[in-house]
Amino acid sequence: MATTTATITLSSADLLSDELALTTTATLTEAGNSTGIVGTSGLGRKKTSGTSQYILFDGDAYANGAHKVYLKNTSTTAAQYFTIEINSEQMGKLYAGDWCFFPWEANADTNDIKIQPSAADMVLEYMLFINE
Amino acid sequence: MATTTAAITLTSADLLTDALSLSATKTLHKAGSTVGLDQTTGMAKAYLTATTNIDIFPTLIEGSMAFAGKSSWVYICNESEDETEYAIITISGNVIGKLYAGDFLWMPWSQSEDGHGNNRHGDIELAPSVDTGMWFTWCCINEGTEYPTAV
Repeated sequence: MATTTATITLSSADLLSDELALTTTATLTEAGNSTGIVGTSGLGRKKTSGTSQYILFDGDAYANGAHKVYLKNTSTTAAQYFTIEINSEQMGKLYAGDWCFFPWEANADTNDIKIQPSAADMVLEYMLFINE
Repeated sequence: MATTTAAITLTSADLLTDALSLSATKTLHKAGSTVGLDQTTGMAKAYLTATTNIDIFPTLIEGSMAFAGKSSWVYICNESEDETEYAIITISGNVIGKLYAGDFLWMPWSQSEDGHGNNRHGDIELAPSVDTGMWFTWCCINEGTEYPTAV
């Protein structure tokens, strides 16, 4: 069993009249128990060669579970983004420097995570934590 | 213009042979720009006692023209301490994943109108796994808020 933690910090001194300072730490565990996740894709990078949509993670390739996904758009051009689609539904757009972290159930072969770059030659950094 | 940052640290000494120590920090900007996001729903804290789906941002008009092409970020945390308790998170009725006790998510949200014809638009919904009471916190930091017209 491995111990992997994810900590998020949201902060702002001027979004509201009161300061925003939120920190949450989660230990990444398997579905419904306290066993640490032991599988991972490793930290990877994908350089796109066009603006086509790619399957980043195939829902059919993983068992139904409490997987976690980390994605980061490494672009430094503010207008460049990746459109993130999950289960054929547009989740959102990851602009330059943006990152996201979310659970993924992979509950069906249609539950793919797909990415579509807004320009050619963009690089997405990704890491999947796998509930094996 | 506000300056709001989101940072993540992923660490593990034993997931891999090499230590994992990954950090990323990003200032939240309006879509395609370097102008800071300046609107938020505020942080909500809710105690849910039913397993039915709820729309966690009911005051926002998803799929509206105001949100088209805009940037929104969503934070959700399952505050439960019972490892078996989870919430199913969906977008437009499609499952993203299960958020187990202590887990959080941070994701962009297009709020785009879906193509499923079910009038759910871009709703983000949450369904607790038990009806015995679960605590959650969530917020949205965004631009282009449009509120429903009073009736």
